[in-house]
Amino acid sequence: MTIKIVIIIFLGFASGLAVGSGFVAFLTVLGIIPRLTQLSKTMKMIQSYEWAVVIGALTGVLASLRDPNLNLSPYLLIPLGLTGGVYIGMLAAGLSEALNVFPILAKRIRLDGKIMILIMAIVFGKIFGSIFQWLYFVHH
Amino acid sequence: MEKTVYIRMRNRVQTRAKETIYLKDAAQIIADDSVLSKLQQIIIHKLTEKDGNIVVIDVMKVIQLISSRFRDVEVQTIGPAQTIIEIVSKEKGVSVPFFLLIWFLLFFGSALTLMNFHDDVSMKSVQEKIYTIITGKRETKPLLFQIPYSIGLGLGMILFFNHVFKKRINDEPSPLEVEMFNYQMDLDNYVIVNENKESMKRVHDD
Repeated sequence: MTIKIVIIIFLGFASGLAVGSGFVAFLTVLGIIPRLTQLSKTMKMIQSYEWAVVIGALTGVLASLRDPNLNLSPYLLIPLGLTGGVYIGMLAAGLSEALNVFPILAKRIRLDGKIMILIMAIVFGKIFGSIFQWLYFVHH
Repeated sequence: MEKTVYIRMRNRVQTRAKETIYLKDAAQIIADDSVLSKLQQIIIHKLTEKDGNIVVIDVMKVIQLISSRFRDVEVQTIGPAQTIIEIVSKEKGVSVPFFLLIWFLLFFGSALTLMNFHDDVSMKSVQEKIYTIITGKRETKPLLFQIPYSIGLGLGMILFFNHVFKKRINDEPSPLEVEMFNYQMDLDNYVIVNENKESMKRVHDD
């Protein structure tokens, strides 16, 4: 019995370790935190940003495993949705940037100066896709 | 007495077709006044039809040209070992239908990718769960979360590319500009090795 519990604890710990380090590695590759510190000029606070990510991830773990119930106002969801959206948006931008799509695209169609217009196409596409999905798509 | 001439090749020269490239176009020169103007007027390349649109001028060629003309000059080179001469044809306008097609392609493609992503990570059930955690009620349409989320999504992308706050926050280059620069450097490096006949040599040993 004890050996089973020890093995389970070990397995749980190992999978948590793998998932956690994978998450951090992913975040590092996409360069979201450096980008945010660069925009806000808060390089000195980088350590507390690390903690924000770690605490956020652990809160997510608690929320998904324990099903807590806070009984708060639904309007609290607006800032949560907004910040969550900004985060996913930066993730998507970081990913498409890491994939090196834009420089090649700009070269191919000789649009070096107006590449922002193309990025706006992607941005509006994302917003449209998201709103369309939640308002219409998932209910049909 | 030997005079020293300092030459620094420019990284990139843009010119029109069938022009003559003088040394002063392709390089920065520091030299004694007595030779400077003659040096500047040395012709290092005459562009012809068959040059294509990229020519690489190696510093070795420049040194050879200078030393064949001036016996008592010592050439010191600094910086890049070659100049890329890029022949720009007259600006072609971007065709509007082509542009609109690409714009729509990107627009719809991103919309589709995002919906696939949401489906892939079960975004719907996660959002419903967040709604339940905060309010204690069940809701199959947590629009109060979803609409700000969708707007924030676009905001995050714009923030990442530093589009809106470009001048206001700081003037560091955005990741996109750095990425474009890196891509250009990669292309240049390729051209330097492949367009320059002297930079590769096969010695057959059979």
